[in-house]
Amino acid sequence: MRVTANSETCAVSSLCVYRVPGVFDQDEDGLVRILEERPAAELHEEIRRAARGCPTKSIQVHEDEGAPASPTAPA
Amino acid sequence: MSTQTPPRYPFAWTPPMQVPEALRHVHDSSAMEVTLPSGDVALLVTRYKDVRALFADKRLSRNIARPDCARISKDNDLFMDPNIDPDPPEHTRVRSLVTKAFTARRIEALRPYVQQVADELLDEMAAGPQPAELNEAFAFPLPIKVICKLLGVPAEDRDRFRGYVDGFLSVTKLPPEKVGECRQNLWKYLGDLIESKRENPGDDLVSELIRVRDDEDDSRLNEHELHFWTQGLLIAGYVTTASQIGTGTAVLLHRRDLVREIQADWSLVPSAVEELLRTQIMGSSVGTMRYAIDDIPLSDGSVIKKGTSVLLSEEGANVDAEVFECPFELDIRRKENHHMTFGAGLHYCVGAALARMELQVATETLLRRFPDIRLAAKAEELPRALGGFMEGFTEIPVEW
Repeated sequence: MRVTANSETCAVSSLCVYRVPGVFDQDEDGLVRILEERPAAELHEEIRRAARGCPTKSIQVHEDEGAPASPTAPA
Repeated sequence: MSTQTPPRYPFAWTPPMQVPEALRHVHDSSAMEVTLPSGDVALLVTRYKDVRALFADKRLSRNIARPDCARISKDNDLFMDPNIDPDPPEHTRVRSLVTKAFTARRIEALRPYVQQVADELLDEMAAGPQPAELNEAFAFPLPIKVICKLLGVPAEDRDRFRGYVDGFLSVTKLPPEKVGECRQNLWKYLGDLIESKRENPGDDLVSELIRVRDDEDDSRLNEHELHFWTQGLLIAGYVTTASQIGTGTAVLLHRRDLVREIQADWSLVPSAVEELLRTQIMGSSVGTMRYAIDDIPLSDGSVIKKGTSVLLSEEGANVDAEVFECPFELDIRRKENHHMTFGAGLHYCVGAALARMELQVATETLLRRFPDIRLAAKAEELPRALGGFMEGFTEIPVEW
């Protein structure tokens, strides 16, 4: 999995930062920043939830773009 | 065209602890006409999918100061200010000046202060007579103190501004001349506040906005916008949170089983708070009023015609069975609770993270401090605020 975010459309809900703090962060203005673009498999479900819950749909999850060595998350 | 008058909205909540009957049928169609307190008719969009999409749809304008837009109240120009452009890009420009005060880091830095205020208020409550009245002892003073600290407003001013704010948010409660008086007094109060902060700036959000306003090289904020946003932050900063602390707690106390569940596992507090927010028992969606500047198709193929006044039903979306399993059940363990109570899209509630944090602290502190706290009145008989923008309970007697 690869995760990206669009700070242009971010509305600073802070929801993603609270849900997965190691992956999502905010800049000085509160706009979303990605800390870990290829997060560990155990975080994938929470990241999907964060993406689904983003009020401006500013988080994109690219499921088929994993790091070569990372195990596939169970369906 | 139907000749029948569309049902009244906000829906009647009778008796208070139950889901309004109307809410059980709102998904029969994707949208329904409703009659507002003003007598005007608006289109209430009810399905989660549509509500969420429309919150982000630029074909719905937030500028409702238009002659042919439905009015919420005939006595009060709620959410209408002809000098403010509530649509992007203007709105987004000003909004970005305040969002930086509401990042997760800034909110978490406030948490110890919120905890301290909650502890102090409950110490006072414990020392006083029983039953205590939860709104005045806790639900209102907590968020008022917090928003005052964040904005740099003297908390002792609350007795002044609370009356003005009640009038500002009146729908049918007060006659138009009283509403006007409250609005003027509130605006004047804020003007005095801004002037005094200009002279003695502090480390607070209003002082920060004044600095932006007075910076000659920075044209992002004019004087009217400075007033308007200070007013909006102050009002939204406590009215909603206070109502939610009150109604949410009342509902919890009505459900002893849930209180016991939380007390056995405090990690349930955040999801319990979200679930109480989802069931959104404190108000309606009249505040979402928008105006269609173009035709907009809904998910079932029907079309919102250009020129329609539109309400996005947060409470309808929040009980959409397509999204929420057993939507009318209070499930404090819901894992994925993307409710619409704070809206969505670029107008998503600026203070949502602050409200969540305050609700978490309030709920946990209250249930820890008073393990056996209970309602000292029948839940069904709690009086509900009528005629205003918020519909929380006006009196919540509790004993412990």
